Amino acid sequence: MSEFRYVTKGINRTDGELIVTGRARYTCDMELPGMLVAKILRSPYPHARIKGINTDKAKGLEGVKAVITGADIGYRRFSFIDTPAFPADQTPLAVDKVRFAGEEVAAVAAVNEEIAAKALDLIEVEYEELPPVFDPEEAMKEGAPAVHEIVEPNTTTAWEDFGVPPSKSRPYKAVNNISNKALIQYGDIEKGFEEAEHIREDRFEVPSTSHMAMEPHVAVANYLPTGKLDVWLTHMGYEHKRFWLAKLLDIPISRVRVHKTYVGGAFGGKISIFPFEFIAAYLSKITLRPVKITLPREEVFAGCPPSRRMIVYLKTGVKKDGRITAQQVKVIDDVGAYRRSSPTALYLAHVFRNPIYNIPNLKHEGYGVYTNKLYTTAKRGHGLPQMVFAVEAQLDMICDELGLDKVEMRLKNFRKKGDILPNGDKLRSYGLPECLKEAAEKIGWKEKYGKEKFRGLGIGSASMFSGAHNFPFSSAAMIRLNHDGRMILYTGQTEFGIGVDTVMAQIVAEVLNCPLDYVIVNSGDSEVSPHDVGNWLSGGIFVSGEAVRRAAQDLRDQMLNYAAAGLDIPIEDLDMKDGWIIPGSDESKKLSFSDMSRYGIQMAGGDPLIGKGYVKCVPEVHFWKGKYNKTASLSSGKGRFTEAYGLTMAIAHVEVNPETGEVKILEIVVADDCGTPINVKSVEGQIMSQTVMGIGDVCYEEVRINNGIVMNPNLLDYMVPTANDIPKITSILVDSYEPNGPFGAKEVGESPRAAVISAISNAICNAIGERIYDLPMTSDKIKKALRSKSA
Amino acid sequence: MKRSVLLTVNGERHEVLIEPNLTLLELLREGLNLKGAKEACGIGACGACTVLMDEKPVNACIVLALEAEGKEIETIEGLVKGNDLHPLQRSFIDHYSFQCGFCTPGTIMTAKAFLHRNPKPSRDEVKNGIAGNICRCTGYENIVDGILNAAKEI
Repeated sequence: MSEFRYVTKGINRTDGELIVTGRARYTCDMELPGMLVAKILRSPYPHARIKGINTDKAKGLEGVKAVITGADIGYRRFSFIDTPAFPADQTPLAVDKVRFAGEEVAAVAAVNEEIAAKALDLIEVEYEELPPVFDPEEAMKEGAPAVHEIVEPNTTTAWEDFGVPPSKSRPYKAVNNISNKALIQYGDIEKGFEEAEHIREDRFEVPSTSHMAMEPHVAVANYLPTGKLDVWLTHMGYEHKRFWLAKLLDIPISRVRVHKTYVGGAFGGKISIFPFEFIAAYLSKITLRPVKITLPREEVFAGCPPSRRMIVYLKTGVKKDGRITAQQVKVIDDVGAYRRSSPTALYLAHVFRNPIYNIPNLKHEGYGVYTNKLYTTAKRGHGLPQMVFAVEAQLDMICDELGLDKVEMRLKNFRKKGDILPNGDKLRSYGLPECLKEAAEKIGWKEKYGKEKFRGLGIGSASMFSGAHNFPFSSAAMIRLNHDGRMILYTGQTEFGIGVDTVMAQIVAEVLNCPLDYVIVNSGDSEVSPHDVGNWLSGGIFVSGEAVRRAAQDLRDQMLNYAAAGLDIPIEDLDMKDGWIIPGSDESKKLSFSDMSRYGIQMAGGDPLIGKGYVKCVPEVHFWKGKYNKTASLSSGKGRFTEAYGLTMAIAHVEVNPETGEVKILEIVVADDCGTPINVKSVEGQIMSQTVMGIGDVCYEEVRINNGIVMNPNLLDYMVPTANDIPKITSILVDSYEPNGPFGAKEVGESPRAAVISAISNAICNAIGERIYDLPMTSDKIKKALRSKSA
Repeated sequence: MKRSVLLTVNGERHEVLIEPNLTLLELLREGLNLKGAKEACGIGACGACTVLMDEKPVNACIVLALEAEGKEIETIEGLVKGNDLHPLQRSFIDHYSFQCGFCTPGTIMTAKAFLHRNPKPSRDEVKNGIAGNICRCTGYENIVDGILNAAKEI
């Protein structure tokens, strides 16, 4: 790694001064002249028919500029998933009925917040309560209340816009509240269980947890009289946002500009479009004034989706030596009122763990089920933490029953570098065995395991895509050379805490071998930046970073070509160093980047020198007017998904107080294979972040919903880890190189969380000698488990 | 009925006419256009809105602007002297003590008051000192490093 000048180094954030002085501008800081404030009226009932809405009094209040209901803007549906098989099922404001308590029913734009709030009180809604259904397994039964009627597609999907024929779209009728299904199979499951010498069957359950991004959800929209929409959003990539804003407002996508803002954390929770964002845009369109909606924290908790609630039925068969012969999974995803990303989650729950263990015979069945609860979405690992929690728990139980070493058993079952997964993805880099070995060594597995009373050790595993085949499919980047020799990089990546501007500057400076401050990064502006996959499914560095690397290489090649022509020297004799182009033979003839800009403009027809680079997430996957190749199927798990997997193993060491059930985490070791770390401080920051998030997931976090109502929608009742809760955490980056990634890099932003959750929960169960089958593992649950053990 | 309040913010005197229910955070962010302090929870539970009132850290989202009458308020915007960052600001950059940065202004203000009270803290004392400032990104360790290293220079 030592040959690099910037890559692998822990370079400070290039925008650090903005952050620490309070000068970084977040959407919540945006003020525009004449800006209105909007507020949303939400349903108090989990399931009710809307018999009538009277907005006359609200409209009559002085200072109110607009009041809207589903009758105004309920005509078009949207969702996260917009494939032809799964038509969008949600409207920006409820039409005819509400499906969860907290659903958007009406909205007001007024000159200030106080008047907007008063106007909400004046809106009269007549509801007729309907029988709700909260338990997904009840909802799946014949005769359960139906959350949805037939959903007719009423707009083209992103896939159709990019080449899938619209004729593929069809209406969706949810039978027994089943929103979506997945069935992924390979090998021979029956034969696999016949070969098994030991079989376990268990049921696990994981509740919703909040992303609890520090910046609450907020949107500023400014529809201009020219027919253009400017928006400032809390988001994770603008392509999804502007796609849906364009569809819903019937304006061309190019006329929607998502401006660059800093985003105060996202963690998967700010992808795709939210009703409040569309409401802000629509209110701006009809008032021709800027409109801001800031959701109070209570509305973020009770109206915006937290992570997915999943029930996992798991059956695993092994040989006596621990070799897995078969695994059968049934996942029930309690999606809540709207489907959102459930089809993705059901398939990700399998495919994210596909690279971990080599399971020759597998059946993965998934059901997304509508209930009258807050709908759910992706959160760091999207389905993986829930699934891995179950799988790793059961592997531990099997090891206990067969007397197997938990490290050795896992090592025996790992896949291998070079393996081709059942869907065709290839593991070109695979440091998982090293991750486990190094983590076990570091934590002292052999010395400590089974030797300490009320202390335990637990292992967790994870793997994660480095970008995926789905919309928006690819990333591009451009680099403009200025005549002072400095460069402006245009990338669509969004800054929500990952330090992406710094990392991209490092990549450019590395390729062009120039000082880091030669690179100015202009990111996250949909009108200025080229097409970009965004910062989700962990494609930021692997996909967009590679596009940036290629753009830098393109600019480098162009500069060298002109230098060769200008100096009349063969290109092979030229080198780039410290921002200069140096002829090997004669350093006195060296040219600056500034010289190259002048040469291009004066001597090469005015060429200003612009580097261009682009990458498709999965080049093999394409569709164009009926031609398909390897299109991945969410429901069957066939087709290519990603070009590289990030991998993590975590081991936790905990102590449990048998009297109080209190857990003290003594140490967590996280070993990660993210390929080459482009910025080692940023990578370690991602690992730390997820480790601490995982502590919250296991020890206390849960969005508690009772009869459809969120019971803890604030930061006093919803506990997150504080500085006092942090144990000793060690991160290990194993030596790895991903041939397809920029400088050998791949994903790091999502997989550690799942591994840490499993590690801590397995360690707790190991410490108490009892299994807890659901999260969070609160002291009450631990005490109960200990009591049932002694009884 | 509006009331007049006289206060000093980052060394500048302001006389403002405000509604009695206005919070100090609303006054700073909307009235004085100082956007550094943030609202994340609205109930004084996360520390993102921390500013100093007569050198003591307060959650500005649950302090009434009226309470600031005659007081000296210091916000993140007041920390830079000329072109020089405060040692805490420099140290936060050098120790990667932030990711999304939303909680950073509040945490730095808490840390400033904390180091004023306890100039040579232990690691555990620092953790306890910032336990009221929630950060969802960093996992806190880098924040603690940033504060401990700044302590050496203050």
